[in-house]
Amino acid sequence: MTYEDRLLLQTRRQFFRDCGIGLGKIALASLLSEPLLARRHHAAKAEHVIYLCMAGGPSHLELFDYKPELVKYDGKPAPDAILQGKRFAFMDTFAKETPKLLGTRRKFQQHGQSGIWISDLLPHLSKIADDISIVHGVCTENFNHGPAKLFSMTGSVRPGRPSVGAWVTYGIGSESKDLPGFVVLQSGPRGPRGGALLWGSGFLPTAYQGIPFRSVGDPILDLSNPKGITAEDQRQTLDAIRDLNQMRLELTLDAEIATRVAAYEMAYRMQTSGPELIDFSKESPATLKMYGAEPGKSSYANNCLLARRLVERGVRFVQLWHTDWDHHDDITKPLEEICREVDQPTAALILDLKQRGLLDRTLVIWGGEFGRTPMGEVREKGKIGRNHHIDSYSLMVTGGGVKRGITLGASDELGFSPAGEKIEVHDIHATLLHLLGIDHLKLTYRFQGREFRLTDIAGRVLDKLLA
Amino acid sequence: MTRWLALFILGCEVWAQPSMYETKVQPILRANCLACHSEKNLNSGLSLETRESILQGGNRGAVVKLGAPEESLLIAAVRHTGSLKMPPGKKLSDEQIAALEEWIRQGLPMPASLQTRKRPGMDHWAFQYPKRVPLPSVRQVSWPKNAIDYFILERIEKANLKPSAEASRAVLLRRVSLDLIGLPPTPEELAEFLADTRPDAYERVVDRLLASPHYGERWGRHWLDVARYADTDGYTIDAPRDMWPYRDWVIQALNRDQPFDEFIIEQFAGDLLPNPSTGQLIATGFHRNTPSNYEGGIDFEQYRVEAVADRVNTTGSALMGLTLACARCHDHKYDPISQREYYQMFAFLNNVDEIDKEAERKDFNRPFLPVGSPEDLKRYAAWEVQLQLLENELNRYRESLPGEGALLDPGVLERQKNIDAHRRRMPPVSRALIMRELPQPRQTYIHLGGDFTRRGASVEPGTPAILPPLQGVKGRPTRLDFAKWLVDKRQPLTARVTVNRIWQKYFGRGIVDTENDFGLMGDKPSHPELLDYLALEFMDRGWSQKQIHRLIVTSATYRQSSQLRPDLKAADPENRLFARQNRLRLDAEVIRDSALLASGLLSRKLGGPSVFPPLPAGANAVTQVKREWKVSSGEDRYRRGLYTFFQRSAPHPALVLFDAPDATVTCTRRIRSNSPLQALTLLNDEAYFEFAEAFALRLLKVTGDDRARLKEGFLYAVSREPSPSETARLERLLAAQRDAQRGEKAAWTAVARVLLNLDEFMTRE
Repeated sequence: MTYEDRLLLQTRRQFFRDCGIGLGKIALASLLSEPLLARRHHAAKAEHVIYLCMAGGPSHLELFDYKPELVKYDGKPAPDAILQGKRFAFMDTFAKETPKLLGTRRKFQQHGQSGIWISDLLPHLSKIADDISIVHGVCTENFNHGPAKLFSMTGSVRPGRPSVGAWVTYGIGSESKDLPGFVVLQSGPRGPRGGALLWGSGFLPTAYQGIPFRSVGDPILDLSNPKGITAEDQRQTLDAIRDLNQMRLELTLDAEIATRVAAYEMAYRMQTSGPELIDFSKESPATLKMYGAEPGKSSYANNCLLARRLVERGVRFVQLWHTDWDHHDDITKPLEEICREVDQPTAALILDLKQRGLLDRTLVIWGGEFGRTPMGEVREKGKIGRNHHIDSYSLMVTGGGVKRGITLGASDELGFSPAGEKIEVHDIHATLLHLLGIDHLKLTYRFQGREFRLTDIAGRVLDKLLA
Repeated sequence: MTRWLALFILGCEVWAQPSMYETKVQPILRANCLACHSEKNLNSGLSLETRESILQGGNRGAVVKLGAPEESLLIAAVRHTGSLKMPPGKKLSDEQIAALEEWIRQGLPMPASLQTRKRPGMDHWAFQYPKRVPLPSVRQVSWPKNAIDYFILERIEKANLKPSAEASRAVLLRRVSLDLIGLPPTPEELAEFLADTRPDAYERVVDRLLASPHYGERWGRHWLDVARYADTDGYTIDAPRDMWPYRDWVIQALNRDQPFDEFIIEQFAGDLLPNPSTGQLIATGFHRNTPSNYEGGIDFEQYRVEAVADRVNTTGSALMGLTLACARCHDHKYDPISQREYYQMFAFLNNVDEIDKEAERKDFNRPFLPVGSPEDLKRYAAWEVQLQLLENELNRYRESLPGEGALLDPGVLERQKNIDAHRRRMPPVSRALIMRELPQPRQTYIHLGGDFTRRGASVEPGTPAILPPLQGVKGRPTRLDFAKWLVDKRQPLTARVTVNRIWQKYFGRGIVDTENDFGLMGDKPSHPELLDYLALEFMDRGWSQKQIHRLIVTSATYRQSSQLRPDLKAADPENRLFARQNRLRLDAEVIRDSALLASGLLSRKLGGPSVFPPLPAGANAVTQVKREWKVSSGEDRYRRGLYTFFQRSAPHPALVLFDAPDATVTCTRRIRSNSPLQALTLLNDEAYFEFAEAFALRLLKVTGDDRARLKEGFLYAVSREPSPSETARLERLLAAQRDAQRGEKAAWTAVARVLLNLDEFMTRE
């Protein structure tokens, strides 16, 4: 038992007698693996989440949602009936003339025993088709990147709500004693639109916000000692801080000081565990090769490997961003390039988790904030892209508690709207919480006069997705 | 006599012939309509329960035209002649419909008890005007120093408890300095105060602090939380914009103790005052702090509507203590605020000349006010004229061209190039975002389900019926009328909400714990009479915030020790009785300012554009648009925390890790968290290490031995002398750290780092 564990235990009895639950206590909970819920609402199927956020909106029609009818009607004006009452981004472009349907140019095939349709853009994922599931007919609320991203991460298009990772760590804490419970990774040419709000804690205490880690340099801001300060210096300084704080605690009896002492000790442990986390030297060459990871580089592949290492170390929620999937101008070359970057590491992550027995405890979700229109968009002569599309898009899911090798939901013949069951972002959130042992109706936080939930006033658990 | 009269009237109603309403209409309404359309369940904003509410109609507009059933929506709905068919899933019989028609034809006769609306919550405490009551009597008569203390002590004595002793003079000086100006006292100020034996020494300190220009910085920052102040425009592009003139206006307004009613009127509608001054225009930046989106492909109207809604919500949280946002999509579930009333308030704020269409994209910051030196403003005006001329010329030329293809015409390209070059030559003025009313107000509609594309009934500007009405307004009420109404002395909420928020800063919690919700679901005040007393004093003393500060900080209640007491633990674990002070962790900015003060690096410069202190490497690498962070040089490197440039998509970690708000929506209370990342910042951040080194050098200049230096260090960091055991502990550290090679500075830097990381350093005792 470490010093601060003892201290915490010693003060806890006194603490609950004295003050009820202080905010400092709550704040520490997420980082010291103390869940706020006394116990989960039901048995958990997953302990960790890796959310692979593909910023910009990947085209479901080029990757997972095969639409032969759309190919058949390629070049024909989109039927008025489906466009009526719909609003799109860049309305001006679409308003000039009726947009034309665009059939995919990709080759689609069914893969594995399950026969999931996957295009030739994703050869690695195709090979593990039986280890993944595809959800079609997902819809969202807003056709602009910033608000749609906020919606996919916080359940609201308006800024100010907690990110799903914040909700989770607020609800059930984290297993990691040396790392934050909610970690954010990022790769690609730029950051995602919306920035810190996408992993913010909203109205929850800031201790629940996602902490951005980098795969090169200091993984966490201010993790290294200042220049010229040795590990020995740092320890001596920390010991003196602890002793003086302890004297003050005895004098004031304020348990908040005990919390601060514990926080400083955890900071010290993070200083050791952080560099170890991003040190890939103990990974086998075969593992590095499988991901396509190159130590010391900032890349999606490295971040996928980092995500596995985080989960291995007990981190609850990893939010991994990769930009940029916004293919308005050209749905061919740039899409091929980004798929080459993303396909192999994603498949490697799933395989690696499986080999290590972590996949059964880790929920993995891959997808964007929306999909892309079945109609083509011409911005430049000779090139064709697709616009933002919110009525139907696809996600890939797998891992703890999820049925593998299935296709859930479907879009209509043109890939425009859900055919039958409509799956909403709040349903994905409800299901995610359910798998972690949380009832989305019961995980609430009181703010500005009412109880708030991640799923607002909607959300249902997608039973058919559960193993 | 009146009793007899009342009985008589009552008797009439009981004994009179049952009316046609009672025999025919009411049974129909009860069986088919009232479940969804009553005073309690206002679906679609409609209540069919009282005559007044029927005549007011619902979100779709009027439902009844008196005497004309054929023109009444109610009849069309029950006849199923239009798209609206009621009741859902069934149809009334012809006989029932005929009864309703007859009732409308006769002019809706209804019994006296159903003439006027019966909004639930009308008797809620917060909607009643504050009452002045005599000071309660107390046993410990020597304790109270002013009226506040009587209200507090009475409750403490009722619980058979005693108030806490006064804090030590050193603690008191540190507390009141941190609270009023956001800076700890210097060792000199401490020595002076401890030596001052005059009976009013403390009051003199309070007056000195209230007169300090730093007061406006400290309390200005509290208001900037409410104003969701930031230096960039948020959402996706998050570009810098000139909001700092507004921030400086706030600081100055507080320093000159501008009466709070004027303070609010100028921020809401300074532009509508007669001949508004530059300051009054800049003040309207308050409601221009809303984030704005202009990423490619958006519908500008959507984000304009978002901003207006945010203005309504902010007004509710910050001034009215009402969760108005709840009524954006439907009638408020708990408070007597209908969706219609929400959009009536929306209508006041809906007429600002902001852009709402793609064609105006390049004007996205409109309206703004150029701010700068008189010479620069003159040059700017000339520059603007020239720009207009160039643009006119381009348009004329374009029109002279035949057909399409004008886009690539060399003449167009050259003219465009000239315009771009001219834009780059803009004189160095700031463009402060302000409010400016459209000549023709926008029509406001109820947005069904809160969706701006689904328009319900049109509404005119108005205030909620539960509160005193607008007075003395001729014609269509304006934003200025709304502002005046908000601070009208007949209003029961604004003064209460404001003094409660002030109280909250001093004690960590308000008299009403839910500081932004005084509605039916909010907490009840722990000391209702005290809240009313403070609200009335606030208004009676000319809305002077400084006088309220003085009243609170000179009270015995405020001056109590924050020491935890065994007897209070059991009796009042949450300290609702205020029988002691609370220990409060300092705000993000104040922690920085305290470290700057201790290190001797602090710049006391007031105002100006926001500055760029060192930022941990990579801290802003996550934004969509890469923004440069060029570290400020000279004294701007050491400015107070409130001047740090606030980038919404990547705020400075030293601010947000210590719970500074993210500036997306109004913040009326900061959370106080306690996390390892805070420890990493104070231990390792480049800025804090620099402060520690400077602090060490300052201590090395102190003449005397280690003990003298340690004493000085404690005075700077925590405003007191160290105890012998504390001294001994730091001497041990010094001994361990002393190293001939690295010199004394390294050893003392270690001491300085300890001092700047103490819990006490970042706490107001």
